[in-house]
Amino acid sequence: MVTFLHPWALWIGVAAATMPVLIHWWTRPRPVRFPLSTLRFVREAVRQQRTWRRLRDFVLLALRTLAVLLIALAVARPQWREPLQVSDLQGGDTIRVVLLDVSQSMAARAGAVEHIQRARTIAANYLRYRPGLAANLVLAGARPYGVFDGPSTNFEALRDELARCRALPERSDVNRAVDMAARWLAPASDNDRRRRELIVISDFQRSNWSKVDFSPLPGDTNIQFESTAPAEPPPNVAILGVQGRASRAGAQLDVEIGNETSATRKIAVDVTVGDATHRLTGACPPGRRTTLTEEIRSCPSGWWPGEARLAGVDDALPNDNVCPFVLHVRPRPTYILMTRQPRGRRATSSLFLECALAPAAGKERRQGGDASPRVIRVDPVALDSSVVASGDLIVLDHPGKLGDEAVKLLAALLRRGRPLLYVAADPIDATNLKRLREASGGSLQMPVEFTPPPAGHARRDLVLTSVQRESPPFEIFGDHLTSTLDQLRFAGGLGSRRLETGVDADVLGRYNDGSAAIVLTSSDAGALAVLNADLAASTLPKTAAFVPLLTELVEQLLDRHRATTRALSGEPLVAQLPAEAGPAHGLWTVGPSGVDGGRCGQLVDEAAGSVWRWAAAGQPGVYCVQRGDATVFAMAVNIPEEESQLDALTPDVLTGRMAAGRMAAYRGVADEDRRRDDSWKWFVLACVGCVMGEMGALIVFRT
Amino acid sequence: MNERLASRFLDLRALSALEPMRFTTRRRVEGTYMGYHASRQLGGSGEFVDFREYTGGEDLRRLDWKVLARTGKAIVRLHEEETDLSCTLAIDASGSMRFGAAGRRDATGSKLEYVQYLATALSHVISRGQDQVGLAVLNDALDSWIGPGATMSHIERLQQVIEGIATHPSPRMAGGLRELFERCRRRGALLLMSDFLMDDLEEVFAALRLFRHRGWDVVVLHVVHPDEERLPDGTAYRFEGMENDGQVSCSPAEVCTAYRERFAAHLAMVRQWALAGGCEYRRVSTAVSYLQTLGGFLVARAG
Repeated sequence: MVTFLHPWALWIGVAAATMPVLIHWWTRPRPVRFPLSTLRFVREAVRQQRTWRRLRDFVLLALRTLAVLLIALAVARPQWREPLQVSDLQGGDTIRVVLLDVSQSMAARAGAVEHIQRARTIAANYLRYRPGLAANLVLAGARPYGVFDGPSTNFEALRDELARCRALPERSDVNRAVDMAARWLAPASDNDRRRRELIVISDFQRSNWSKVDFSPLPGDTNIQFESTAPAEPPPNVAILGVQGRASRAGAQLDVEIGNETSATRKIAVDVTVGDATHRLTGACPPGRRTTLTEEIRSCPSGWWPGEARLAGVDDALPNDNVCPFVLHVRPRPTYILMTRQPRGRRATSSLFLECALAPAAGKERRQGGDASPRVIRVDPVALDSSVVASGDLIVLDHPGKLGDEAVKLLAALLRRGRPLLYVAADPIDATNLKRLREASGGSLQMPVEFTPPPAGHARRDLVLTSVQRESPPFEIFGDHLTSTLDQLRFAGGLGSRRLETGVDADVLGRYNDGSAAIVLTSSDAGALAVLNADLAASTLPKTAAFVPLLTELVEQLLDRHRATTRALSGEPLVAQLPAEAGPAHGLWTVGPSGVDGGRCGQLVDEAAGSVWRWAAAGQPGVYCVQRGDATVFAMAVNIPEEESQLDALTPDVLTGRMAAGRMAAYRGVADEDRRRDDSWKWFVLACVGCVMGEMGALIVFRT
Repeated sequence: MNERLASRFLDLRALSALEPMRFTTRRRVEGTYMGYHASRQLGGSGEFVDFREYTGGEDLRRLDWKVLARTGKAIVRLHEEETDLSCTLAIDASGSMRFGAAGRRDATGSKLEYVQYLATALSHVISRGQDQVGLAVLNDALDSWIGPGATMSHIERLQQVIEGIATHPSPRMAGGLRELFERCRRRGALLLMSDFLMDDLEEVFAALRLFRHRGWDVVVLHVVHPDEERLPDGTAYRFEGMENDGQVSCSPAEVCTAYRERFAAHLAMVRQWALAGGCEYRRVSTAVSYLQTLGGFLVARAG
């Protein structure tokens, strides 16, 4: 379809094109009547001349008129567009919903113009008054909302809201926005024959739009896709995330860089932690993620807000060049080992566990260091709840029959986020696990139910035959996994049978008799791992695989226990505060500069501990939870990393598969710009050609 | 002469200078009465012309007995007889002859007026030579015809008819000529005054050839108006035909050359066809006084 930037020029052009004819008509000589006897000779002479003269006149008039029309066309600036599915030229009663993407990617710039600016201009054209038209505007962010509760004729208010909208540092919940539009576009009754139009204005970012579902829309909805993205995705470099973890020297920062350009870029990242700034450099290949790592020495334990910033990068989306993060440096972990086995140097299961959990504790203590974990033996019979609660991980090995108080305590700690590692060796452990599950009140969904082995049936020479190779704790063995497992023989432990409500993925490994070997499952904020074997009777502690296997399993448990320190802007935030944060009373939140800390969600007490709830996380930055002046928890709110990937869906996918058979059309701003810039030049060139042709024709006919 | 009956085209004072001149023919003619023109009959009462040997069957009254007696040879004396001339003035009355007229009702300045003057003067001069004058007004058919005569009243009536000639928008003349040919029994002279702007030009000359074949002395007077030889100056004209042949709008400047070429070709063609048919051809321009034209014509005829 052709539209014109200056349509008035066409009317002037048409008027001007008639001028040669009119001037000829007006100025043609009025013939003098003259009776002539020799008319036959005049007629013959005229007949001879007329063929040439008419040809000459026609050619000259055509070229002259064409030149005028071409000039008018060049001034009118024609723009070739795809045919629109929605047009104000189609009259009648119409419901129109304009769905405007306000996700972070709409802040990307192409030609010094942000996508959202183009989108606002396009949307404004659809929100103009026309008789019979009712419209509404949906701003599709993480939580889409409509300006009105339904289609309205208050176009003034719609345009005001449109003028105020900005790109938000969040992703777009497109399906929710489509559901909202579908509700308004749904026919009010069987006799509702109004035309239904949905205008979707976005950059149609692949990561956001690939799973959009238009099926909730009425079948007769006309969909018009208006793309603000250029034909080629603009070059963009982004910090996708920053991960901090404790290391032997202090802390380690992993900065993940995404390079969405066509060439390898040398990237420098300034990372600020507290008052210190570190510069990370490295080469990032195109289209890939690159992780830059930095060791931070002598970093005391605590919550450290930080910020990573790309240095010297000017790209399409500047907002993702900065990434706030929280570095939580923890003190050395404490393990509570609940066992009835006495401490000693006998080769008992608990001794193997103690040595494996803190392999270098004795050596470091001898050297005066204090970085290794600490293991505290606790007798389940004389249980001190405060000691148990102070541990980062509770390990149960040969605990015997647990008392009711112990079971309740363990269940409560489990719900509040304390991880448990249960080494099930004796038949009584099946009972303990069953009671623990019951005490958890259904929050503990075990994949299997452990049962005592049948009487007279000794479990020995068991071999691990089915393990999850790509997941911890077996992932660490890599290609040596098979040879490692071949040398392991297990004995003792419990039988197991599958539970209908369980998740098979929670069974990390199985023995050759089909019973579960290692189980890892969650319970509210906590996690429970069951190692189903008698370590003293198994060969595992005597092999090199024992320590890494147990360490990986413990790390997995602790990671689940550790509260996440990263949230996404605009998304709901629910964070379990660490146990040391205490009750919610006396806690408050502090936001980044410019953000009111009192409007950063709620801190509430729940059964598992204090919880920070926020319906929609605010703008990117570091938010801290403090008691007094002490920070007890911190959370970094980031832009979703998929917003940094600016490649768009192709029009065919949108109008074909996505539209699901509905009438749909696509229009891209990029094509429009390119064609608009080119066409007028060709018209001017053609006009010059016409003038030259006219001169040539005059010369030819004269000779 | 009765002044009341005199034609307005007859100017006796102007013609007084031409009255002594006679219209002569270059061929022998057949006449009714004695006259000044050599007769086709070689009788015995006329002027001696020649001797010729006697051939059997000849009139013995023409035998020159004296020569026969003196020489013994039978010689016949040839005497030329003189007779009067029967001259028919054929005037083209087609629409194109009105060209040059001052107005729709006023034929002043037209070719027809010129021909009317010329024909009237010729009739006067011929009648003064004791010759007979006839008149044929030609159109698609023979519009008017007056047989040859030499009486005063005949000439007056003839001149009255000439005065009253009106044109007809017909582009054909051959039919009239053929009709004239059928009415004329005796040989004589035919003076055809026309502009030869007609559609049946070939047929016209075919009809003239019939006259020539019968022994008529045919004189073709091709009347040309000077404004016909070139188109008028100006940017745009709508030329209207005078014989119901439509109209043409054009700029004379664009077609003047081609027009001149075609008109010259037409003149040449008429001349060629006339001479080829044994006719005497004279181009008569209306720019020249009819008296001058008539004088020149008579002098040329007199040899």
